[in-house]
Amino acid sequence: MKNPSENTSANVSTNTCGKCGFCLAVCPVYSVLLDEKASPRARIQLIKVFSEGKISSSPLLKELISKCLMCGSCTANCPSEVDHYSQFMKMRSEMIKDHAEPIEIRGLIYLLAREQRLKMAASLARVGQGILPKAFAEKYQLGNIALSKLPDLNSRTFRSQVKKETAPSGKERGTVLYFTGCATNHVFEQTGHATLKLLTHMGYRVIIPAKQACCSIPLLFHGAEKQARENILANIACFDGEGAEAIIVDCPTCGSTLKNEYSPVLERAGKRSDSAQRISRKIVDIMSFVHDRLELLSIDRNKADAAVSVTYHAPCHLKNVFTPSARVLQQIKAIQYLPAEDSQECCGGGGTFFYEYPEVAAVLAGRKINNAQKSGAELWLTDCPVCRINLAGQQRDGKHLGLCHPAEFIATLLE
Amino acid sequence: MFNNSLKDRLITLLGRENVLDSIEELSCYAYDSFLEESLPEIVVLPKSTTEVAAVVEIAATNKIALTARGAGTSVCGAPIPVKRGIVLCFSKMNKVLEINTRDRYAVVEPGVINGDLQKKLAPLGFFYPPDPGSIMISTIGGNVALNAGGPRCLKYGVTMDYVLGMEVVLPSGKIINLGSKNIKDVTGYKLSALFCGSEGTLGLITKIILRITPQPETARTVLVTFADLDNTAKAVSEIIGSGILPVAMELMDSITIREIENTLNLGLDTEAAGTLLIEVDGTAETCRREMGRIVEKVNDYGALSLQEAATSAEREELWKARRFAYPVFAKIGPDIITEDVTVPISKVPAMIAKIREILNAHDIRAGILAHAGDGNMHPLIPVDKSDTEQMKRVNQAIEEIFAAAVPFEGTLSGEHGIGLAKAEFLPLVLDDNTREFMSVIKKAVDPDNLFNPGKFV
Repeated sequence: MKNPSENTSANVSTNTCGKCGFCLAVCPVYSVLLDEKASPRARIQLIKVFSEGKISSSPLLKELISKCLMCGSCTANCPSEVDHYSQFMKMRSEMIKDHAEPIEIRGLIYLLAREQRLKMAASLARVGQGILPKAFAEKYQLGNIALSKLPDLNSRTFRSQVKKETAPSGKERGTVLYFTGCATNHVFEQTGHATLKLLTHMGYRVIIPAKQACCSIPLLFHGAEKQARENILANIACFDGEGAEAIIVDCPTCGSTLKNEYSPVLERAGKRSDSAQRISRKIVDIMSFVHDRLELLSIDRNKADAAVSVTYHAPCHLKNVFTPSARVLQQIKAIQYLPAEDSQECCGGGGTFFYEYPEVAAVLAGRKINNAQKSGAELWLTDCPVCRINLAGQQRDGKHLGLCHPAEFIATLLE
Repeated sequence: MFNNSLKDRLITLLGRENVLDSIEELSCYAYDSFLEESLPEIVVLPKSTTEVAAVVEIAATNKIALTARGAGTSVCGAPIPVKRGIVLCFSKMNKVLEINTRDRYAVVEPGVINGDLQKKLAPLGFFYPPDPGSIMISTIGGNVALNAGGPRCLKYGVTMDYVLGMEVVLPSGKIINLGSKNIKDVTGYKLSALFCGSEGTLGLITKIILRITPQPETARTVLVTFADLDNTAKAVSEIIGSGILPVAMELMDSITIREIENTLNLGLDTEAAGTLLIEVDGTAETCRREMGRIVEKVNDYGALSLQEAATSAEREELWKARRFAYPVFAKIGPDIITEDVTVPISKVPAMIAKIREILNAHDIRAGILAHAGDGNMHPLIPVDKSDTEQMKRVNQAIEEIFAAAVPFEGTLSGEHGIGLAKAEFLPLVLDDNTREFMSVIKKAVDPDNLFNPGKFV
């Protein structure tokens, strides 16, 4: 155990917290556990007393800090503008230094730190998925989710399926860069094809930089800031440039990372952050980009009439950093959109949270699934790949509501 | 003091996950929204009245202090365990047991969040009026123990006016039932009123019967600015005196408005010396008529501008400034003291002038906010509690503000409670005999002073 007086590196500014408790009202984990120690306010207090040397680093302290979805709702709703998100991230790193992450989390970090490793692991896993006996896949679980309910991996990476540059289908209106993220590249190729289709349909030339890497958020959440920095620099090198009017993301978490985390990481390492700031200003999620240009979409009335009814789940990082896509579903009148009463609430996915704390994730997902099914919709839309895996995987009983990215759904309605 | 065998008994009783005793966990129960902190020796999270009574019995037999806690949003330090011992947190006793619209009551466990109850009542066309600022997270048990208020209490009354009955675990471990489901009930002492605002010093409230009320048909809101703060306050008492009873009359002074505008850019008039937010509710016809009279009155007092809202979206926009007052000042902090002194409505103009004079004399930059319609002042004082020189000035000013309320026949707290924040000032407004009567009750019920010791009684 570490001497408490050495806790200076976690000595971050926690003193603007007035302990009003408003964060408890928006914390998904608190809503399940109903124990102050599982609240954002408590985590801020723990960071403070740790930095003051009143408590020492311990496995329990690590758990209290990391039993958090990192959804950012506390930060987004804090009257005193406490930056819980960054402080938790820093404290997680601090705790991981003293108490290592479990082996499977370390394995994930190892893979995400290098695009090449990830590609190789994905191709091995693809083979694995093919030869896995069905009974085995059903018995073994990732958190609460049976392996059989996990999505298949792409047969080839999405980026290897498409050209580096795709011309618009009609009149050219501009150029955008597309950050595809690991999920689209390795798991949900449909999201990538749909995003490409929407952008080219609206008249945009789409460039997908070949050397892009993982956005780095899993690395930052699990204390691998050094490896994260390498990815961040690689991404800045491919995305910082004139010409493109926007950098499109299809994953809200990648988007929030590219937008909000790159500058602080570089600044902490004593590096200049102006390039990260330029990128930050251009980051936009695909559905917000579509929303701002709705007049460019030609919806086929017949296709829309024949389409299934949809409901929607707003991912936390979209809600807290960008804007939920429900507004697009509402504004395209031809879409039969049936809102679920808790469409804005967290699903409990949270990166690796659903794997680390399945009992909490199950309660959160259960509420969502119940309300989505009650909406009567036939398809469930959500922008985030982890929400999608979590909400699809945690559906237990007979009726299974399919999930896809809103971009995929809207792409099917185009003329 | 606490020993392992007591801890083991609590674990057997409540389950391992509902007994917390590590320093990391205890650190999470040392505070509320007040400035002070004190670590408990153990925290328990019971799930039933039987479990609460069993914990109380252990505390009583072993003479261990016991402090109740809800969501820990009190701003007066009421749930801070200054004498350590046990913190008993009600957050897991959070079931709404019954909602009966025909008889107009709801029965809840103390850990039910006020906002969650509202969400259950709204689809039925009903609501529970007390609306403290912490409505989205504070618990009904905490609201009752602190007799919480809120902006709309001007028209509807405070928590106590909605408590029909309750179940209480006494320090002896006995369970008693006070009141009933009847709106009218004069059977014996109105003891549930005694427990409203008792801050956990007399018993632990384990079940509450609340009166609920139908939602009004509609509401109208107006935001009015004045060139003169005194006239702003006079307009308030004039409106109240004329027989109109708005839902809320929120007053903000120029410092408050400027700070809000600097942060939020809502287009507020930063030149105005005083701003009033007034809301009426009822039938559309009543709202129209009352709002007409309010507009006449504020014009008589030299209103500079009037902004009216009829739709709920427009109303929400007007309320925005008021809702963000606390956050804006909390951010200036790092800490914040929200004062709560209250005077009769006709004394509001004089009291506001006095508060401003005191703050200026001590060179304290603070906003003045008030639920002016019921005389409840909320000076918002951003402080840095580590700055001892500043804290000395602020404490001196607060003491003078309390003293200033006395000649106006005011009181120390309108809705925040006494807790640690105001205990020493009780003699200002309660004479010796009255305080002695409170002590007699306390000693009769809790002879060993185990329930929330170190507070106002």
